[in-house]
Amino acid sequence: MINLRDKGAELWEGANRLQRTAFALVAIFAALCLPYAGNFSLTNFLNTPISSYEAVLVYPVGMYILMALGLNIVVGKSGLLDLGYVAFFAIGAYTAAILGTHTHLNTWEILPMGMGFAMLAGVLLGLPTLRLRGDYLAIVTLGFGEIVRILAINTPSIGGPNGIAGVPQPPTVLGQAFDITHPDHFFWLVVIMILAVIWMVRRLSIRRPGRAWEAIRQDEDVALLMGVPILRYKIWSFSIGAAVGGAAGVIFASEQMFVAPQSFNYNVSVLILSCVVFGGMGNIWGVVLGASILSYLPERIRFISNAREFVFGLALVVMMNIRPEGLLPRKKREHLSDEERAALKATRAALTASKKASKKASEKASEKASEKAEKEASK
Amino acid sequence: MNLTTKRTLGVAAAVALAFGSVVATTAQAAPKSATIAFLSPLTGSEAGLGQDELLGAKTAIYEYNQTNPTVKVSLLTADDQADPSVSPGVALGLAQNASVIGVVGSCCSGATKADFPAFKAGRLTVVSPSATNATLTDPKSPTNGFPFFHRVAATDAFQGPALARYANKGVTAPKDYLIDDASTYGAGLKALTTPSLKSAGVTVVGSDTVIAPASDYSATASKVVASKANVVIYFGYYSDAGKLKKALDLAGYKGAYASGDGTDDDGYITSAGATDAEGTLITSQSVPFELAAPAAVLKDFTAATGLASPAGHAYVTQAYNATNVFLTCIKSGATSRAAIQNCVATGSFTDATGSKFNFTRYGDIAQGAPVGAYLVKGGKIIPVGNA
Amino acid sequence: MNFSVVGSQFFPLLINGLALGFIYVLVSVGYTMVYGVLRLINFANSEIFMLGTFATAIVSTSVFKFNQNSQPSHGMKLFIVLLCCLLASMATSGVVAVFVELIAYRRLRTKGANRLGSLISAIGTSITLSEGVRILTHSIPVASPRVLSKFYVFKIHGVGLRIDQLLTIASGLLLFIAVDRFVTKTRMGKAIRAVSMSEENSKLMGINLNRVISLTFLIGGLVTGAAAFMYMTVYEQTVFNVGFNIGLAAFTAAVLGGIGNLRGAFYGGLALGLAEEYFSALLGSQWKEITVFVVLVLVLLVKPNGLFGEAVQQTRV
Repeated sequence: MINLRDKGAELWEGANRLQRTAFALVAIFAALCLPYAGNFSLTNFLNTPISSYEAVLVYPVGMYILMALGLNIVVGKSGLLDLGYVAFFAIGAYTAAILGTHTHLNTWEILPMGMGFAMLAGVLLGLPTLRLRGDYLAIVTLGFGEIVRILAINTPSIGGPNGIAGVPQPPTVLGQAFDITHPDHFFWLVVIMILAVIWMVRRLSIRRPGRAWEAIRQDEDVALLMGVPILRYKIWSFSIGAAVGGAAGVIFASEQMFVAPQSFNYNVSVLILSCVVFGGMGNIWGVVLGASILSYLPERIRFISNAREFVFGLALVVMMNIRPEGLLPRKKREHLSDEERAALKATRAALTASKKASKKASEKASEKASEKAEKEASK
Repeated sequence: MNLTTKRTLGVAAAVALAFGSVVATTAQAAPKSATIAFLSPLTGSEAGLGQDELLGAKTAIYEYNQTNPTVKVSLLTADDQADPSVSPGVALGLAQNASVIGVVGSCCSGATKADFPAFKAGRLTVVSPSATNATLTDPKSPTNGFPFFHRVAATDAFQGPALARYANKGVTAPKDYLIDDASTYGAGLKALTTPSLKSAGVTVVGSDTVIAPASDYSATASKVVASKANVVIYFGYYSDAGKLKKALDLAGYKGAYASGDGTDDDGYITSAGATDAEGTLITSQSVPFELAAPAAVLKDFTAATGLASPAGHAYVTQAYNATNVFLTCIKSGATSRAAIQNCVATGSFTDATGSKFNFTRYGDIAQGAPVGAYLVKGGKIIPVGNA
Repeated sequence: MNFSVVGSQFFPLLINGLALGFIYVLVSVGYTMVYGVLRLINFANSEIFMLGTFATAIVSTSVFKFNQNSQPSHGMKLFIVLLCCLLASMATSGVVAVFVELIAYRRLRTKGANRLGSLISAIGTSITLSEGVRILTHSIPVASPRVLSKFYVFKIHGVGLRIDQLLTIASGLLLFIAVDRFVTKTRMGKAIRAVSMSEENSKLMGINLNRVISLTFLIGGLVTGAAAFMYMTVYEQTVFNVGFNIGLAAFTAAVLGGIGNLRGAFYGGLALGLAEEYFSALLGSQWKEITVFVVLVLVLLVKPNGLFGEAVQQTRV
């Protein structure tokens, strides 16, 4: 199977600065034009039957891309399995609904607060549970997702099962009104947020936190031995992911003008996780592609209404069997040049000679070392 | 401004910008056909209700088109999954779809509330068969559906007091235990029933909320037995109502068991089992279609849906009535959204039983839909008059 | 806080909790067996359970023609009906479990895919199965008629043990012991344990990996199917998404006890069944899930590998 991701990276590396900028600008422009694609005969196959195409671009498509990017920081970058990501989305949405209906704050003022509350929840959940390993974390996060929903149902002061209606919409920006007749403006807003998150993730990835996450994901024990403050970086990863979910929630609430606990069930968490894995964990473009397909597909095939979810499930199974690493997998580490191979061999030999390290740990460490070697070689 | 026009203008501007040409919008000719949308959950956890209501809508459309009218009507089925996050996108799609002139739906109060902004923006009239939450038409609620939302079902503000009366009828020194399912419908009905119980001098000895669907009701049943209640009222849907009734009987509870229209479904009998279901008191404004409709209409039902009988399908009558509201208007010449809105708000309509009704300013039936009392007897839900 | 209910209803709650607990125990065995061998959460286990409940419902209504008005049966016929339902349920769940492994896991495993890939393909299988059943049943809950008359085996001071509860508790216990014996005493069980310790090394020792993994899924499925039968005897109703709540609870139970550990699943399942009953009575049913979750987090804080779990090896995502 060809690795589209590597192919793309190759082309990107080969391009000069001007070409890169031009490509990025064209891509962004194309994305911003998407809401109008339904009106041209060439592109109107994109139109969703029955539901509003422009609204579908905002929710689920845009929102899911945003959330999948946020979850990708947690699952893809640092390898923490989070099955309750919807909780942060819900916290953001409820923040917008409660503050929006009870105070005079507008959406732009609420946005950082929603992100803050989601981060706070991330830290509070993370502190006791991020010490847990692998699948224990999975069940705790899954539980947390359900708890937030059930708490919302059980709390009459925030509407209980009725939810909160009449959430105010964002005020006009640069003459662009945000109301129900302008889903395209919401879509632009979401695109800008997506670009901001992509930018943030790319910056973080090549800096200290990104390297720490990568180390934690590859081998926690070795990372610890190397002096990476594991818990701190895990909590960072968790709360940054949570903040993105919270931001998506705030925009969701003010776009839909209505929040209710039913919108935040476990299926949403599973769907977002599916987006991340389906597209290619750890790779931003894979995640974006995966989220676009999985959120858009059920709306596009609405005409087979009854069997929609069935087909969706089937598509997941088939796709994962064909491409287990996702559509655009993360960069493979195995393809090494001859010098790199030699460097790897040398480090391996050196490490096996060392009697102190356990056998398992040494293997992982050599992998780390090989990466280092790889990086140096590429310089 | 009309949503569609606005969108077309936006597109025209975008096209002009991109290609330097101006695209003219074509004027529409007088329509020979019209589309009514049916918006309800056809998939998801509430799909059963939506599928049942679809039968009623199909029957009404079939009958109308059999009469060879000048304006043929087609039904566009739209699935909102009863999910308030999916529903607005679907509702907005209907609002943008210029051929849709009216919407029958949605079944459930939560999704309906979420749809209001889209319908208001598209100036699209809605008649719901079964969204009974009182706030939807509450004049004091800032998020009500005025002036586009209407419903042919009595609100829970009618049903609550009726249920309170009916459940405690003939019980000396009633002690009530209230259980709801944490849904918009269940919790809402509970809140509207409780004041009537208090004013009738009934002691409420306990209350519980079991988030549906649940498997195990034995803990709740134990609580009921411990509270020595002699009347249990369940606010929720039939499947869980049946499970609760079974658990109550097994725990040795001997008193009365009552529930609202969510339980008015033959599924309740299968859920609780005929023996355990016996004697259950149910209030509902849903009239069984096989009782409400004349034989000719039932024949049309079979022709339209391919089913022998509407027995066991809930809210078929309401969906039939709701669809007929639009069909009456179309027959009278209303084929635009504005004309439909005007006609629905001011017109007079006939329901399946042949009685006349019209809507209040806020969209409820002016005649006040009566709340029927039902009793489970011999494995059947039997109407016993008004509650 | 309603302590008086717990006081006056202590024993009924205990018995209900135990019956529920044993259903959880058997379903958690399904999770924990697979986890022990593959280090994967079998997300399709809830659907394996769901299909088992439908098998029981279909056999009792279609084969033995029970309906909502028919009387519970007695004597030899009762025994035959129950046995057929149990076997049908176990067979269905067992076969489905093996198929789930073939479809969702095997190819991904042989390709050496990451664990999350398998997780998503299992979730996909789970969605496909439950949606398939939803389409076939039109989302309508299916009630199983009462086959077994629910009399009290004994009753002292209003506190009694019903036959269905006795059946669930007794057969749950027997089945659990049987599985535990199988895993610890037999040759195949030894192979399963070997694979769960090290896949690589057991392969070198000449163990047929594919066969052992299929066997693990089969046993997990059979036990889950038995749980489905018991569930139908006690609660007599099923629906396409019945597996979600039960699966989530059983999974929680497995984690509480220490996932991958059979005895952990046993204590975890019972603890969860009892906790749900008592917390529902004490605080109101709507707080049940929240209290269970808080207990789980507290337990994991003190014992990060669950009550009986061994240290889980570093698992890579």
